[in-house]
Amino acid sequence: MIAILTDTTKCIGCLKCVAACKEINKLGREVPRIWHKDDGLSARNWTSIIQKPDSHYVRKQCRHCLEPACVQACPVGALHKTPEGAVIYDKGKCLGCRYCMMACPYGIPRYDWDQTVPYVQKCILCYSRIKDGVQPACTEICPEKATIFGERDELIKEAHRRIDENPARYINRVWGEYEVGGTSVLYISDIDLDFLAVKADLGTKSLPSTTELAMKSVPFAFVGMGAFMYGLNWVIKRRIKLQGENDEKEA
Amino acid sequence: MSRINIVKTILWMIVGLASAVGITRFVFGLGATTNLNDTTPWGLWIGFDVMGGVALAAGGFVITAIFYIMRREEFKPMVKPAVLTAFLGYIAVIVSLLFDLGLPWNIWHMMFYWNPHSPLFEVGWCVMLYTTVLLLEFSPVPLEKASRYARVREFLMKFRFPLVLLGIMLSTLHQSSLGSLILIMPFKLPDLWYTSILPIQFFISAVALGLMMVSFESLVSTWLYRRKPETHLIAKLGKAAAWVLGIYLAVKLGALIAGGRFGLIFSGSWESFVYISELMIGVIVPIIIFAIPRFKNSVGGQWLGAFMVVFGIAFNRINVGGLTMVGTTGDFYVPSWMEISLTLGVISSAILVFLFMIEKFHIWERPPANPEADPLKLPDFDRSSEAWLGTPEISGRIKYSLAYVICFALGLGLISGDKIYSHGIENVPVRPARGGDSLFIDGNRDGFGVMFAHKNHEKVLGGEKSCAECHHLNMPLDKQSGCYNCHRLMYESADAFGHDWHASPTGSNLNCFACHTPGLEKTASSVKDCQDCHNDLLVAGAPIKIDQYMAPAYADAMHGLCLDCHKNRAVQFTDKKNIDICSACHKSYSPDHFKPEMLAKLQDRYFNHVLLPEIKDIE
Repeated sequence: MIAILTDTTKCIGCLKCVAACKEINKLGREVPRIWHKDDGLSARNWTSIIQKPDSHYVRKQCRHCLEPACVQACPVGALHKTPEGAVIYDKGKCLGCRYCMMACPYGIPRYDWDQTVPYVQKCILCYSRIKDGVQPACTEICPEKATIFGERDELIKEAHRRIDENPARYINRVWGEYEVGGTSVLYISDIDLDFLAVKADLGTKSLPSTTELAMKSVPFAFVGMGAFMYGLNWVIKRRIKLQGENDEKEA
Repeated sequence: MSRINIVKTILWMIVGLASAVGITRFVFGLGATTNLNDTTPWGLWIGFDVMGGVALAAGGFVITAIFYIMRREEFKPMVKPAVLTAFLGYIAVIVSLLFDLGLPWNIWHMMFYWNPHSPLFEVGWCVMLYTTVLLLEFSPVPLEKASRYARVREFLMKFRFPLVLLGIMLSTLHQSSLGSLILIMPFKLPDLWYTSILPIQFFISAVALGLMMVSFESLVSTWLYRRKPETHLIAKLGKAAAWVLGIYLAVKLGALIAGGRFGLIFSGSWESFVYISELMIGVIVPIIIFAIPRFKNSVGGQWLGAFMVVFGIAFNRINVGGLTMVGTTGDFYVPSWMEISLTLGVISSAILVFLFMIEKFHIWERPPANPEADPLKLPDFDRSSEAWLGTPEISGRIKYSLAYVICFALGLGLISGDKIYSHGIENVPVRPARGGDSLFIDGNRDGFGVMFAHKNHEKVLGGEKSCAECHHLNMPLDKQSGCYNCHRLMYESADAFGHDWHASPTGSNLNCFACHTPGLEKTASSVKDCQDCHNDLLVAGAPIKIDQYMAPAYADAMHGLCLDCHKNRAVQFTDKKNIDICSACHKSYSPDHFKPEMLAKLQDRYFNHVLLPEIKDIE
């Protein structure tokens, strides 16, 4: 499982990753901001740099969750978690329900609101590159090695190593290690990164597990209701019949 | 005009308006017609039309369960209208969904590309199957009139009971799966609503709503056609609804108490206010109304009770479907008038089809109490002249067509505004500022005003005749040219003409010699003028020269070149440490340039600042 580790203390906010992403994925000119959140992500920006007070720069991108809510949500399987770890999008299958956008705990998928044939737009971890063993454009171009690419287990070790080596510099937490079941894009930082999600403190429970029980009980609810209604009908029918016979006898 | 005439005319007017909006939706896209955005991807069309619409169609399975399963024969007069309402409700849901989906022509993908883990997959299949079941349940009614299909009708009547059973089973799944749909958003839906038993709550409230929707529909149609209201039946339904609502209330509050969230109801936040009003309108007051015999058996009480339940539970669906997520997303979405009119239009068309069915087919089980006053009564037929003496009260073809056409035209007139042509971005009025040589415009198309040195641009671009350089840069769907149309790159001068785009296969796909003269070197001097091709965009003789198409970089355009600041501005600062803070210079904006919310946004943008990327190779 591959992953990206972003060390916000190293980021200088040069935006080369953003530009490289645009170039590789041919994203084109920005759409007007009336359709964005103020986090810089949009249908034409799959990654962005958010500037925080005191020269802190935080790169935002799809987290490529280990158990992605968007993949669970998509009714036609247009979103898909590859064995390599990327969550990719098949626009040939998409029907535009935007349930993935509602489900994502990080608010990542964006929509072509300005198009009459709109698609969902999000980072795909440069899937065509990582398939060939080449790293994504953003990590490749980073001049400060602030965002690096590698195996997830090794990057987690590396993250903890950096924190242990320099505990004064970092908050002792690897964002993405356990959050919503773990993500493939990890962060270490000296500022709190909870603003990247729709709500602080997402917990470690994966989102697909929230609907699992409901989805598993579907066949039972279906058959159960059928059996209950059939039984009810049988009982009532019998009662009416008995009632009729009684009435006949009395008459 | 009679009661039914007036109602139908109004419905046709709404449908006319909505037709214009519906066409616009498909021609210009979602961005141009809705107020949806990346933060609020689901709006009125999902929250009310789909979530609410399915719940409002619950009457079909509730009444068939009462009549066929529980064998309460007295409810026979309500079965056909209830099944018809459910069927039309589901059709309305599907039609709304077609407008809301980004790629509605792919809706059939649901049948072939399966993701059985998705709650929406379950919803989709339930809609498809249950609509089919409802069609089969209802079709014996119109088939009655076609003797040719008598055998089909007989066949369908034979399978009535299994169909009804299947319908109830599918509805159980479907009503609850709309709750499962939201389970995956625990961070967005406030704690007052979010619970893992949301599907069960949805099902129970759908049963109550189904009972009351049938009552409401019965009250409305008897009122419209001047029939005797089915008071004794509705009283029974009301009593049942009161019980179901009681269970719903217990389950709802029980879930809150079990989750330790009961106190949230009285926290005084706006969510708690919404929650309390939802429960009061849809649950508590109706329980009281139907618990008091005097109200329960009166037509007025039934109207009020039924309406409150219908409104209250639909309100619940809207709340869960997105309205209460405002607190987390921070984006206060208000549906555009086009979204609202399309929603109303879909409902109105469903009602019109319902009325048509009532007028044409055998839906009423009993003859009217007063046949003389029946609006459906045909006028006398004069056999000698073979002519009808007068018209039936319900007819009004000319009125309806006029209402439709006028409102359709009105809709087109209202729509063909700036919002459509610039894909939802409204034109911001340009106003002069600072003595008139600058204008205050929305140059970045993001709702923020910027100072635009109009006179300066005019001078640099070649004097009075240069107007066309900007005012005719308009893209086909564009009204004005934003700053970024020319100043595209952050730190380098940019190609304002778009050479690469003109040549690229995804752009205009022109070959070199479509513009450059063959035989000459391919430079800016060997090329055609813009107006040779763009004769429809440019006035004749517009002095646009291709050799001047490099525009300064975005940052330079906004700030001037480095020396500008260092020579003129930086020297004024004593606090040189904070020189990189925007507000070090940008404090001269007088407050009247900004609305307060805009000012707040600007401040927010400084503290949560998103850097603009430096883009090469645009388009």
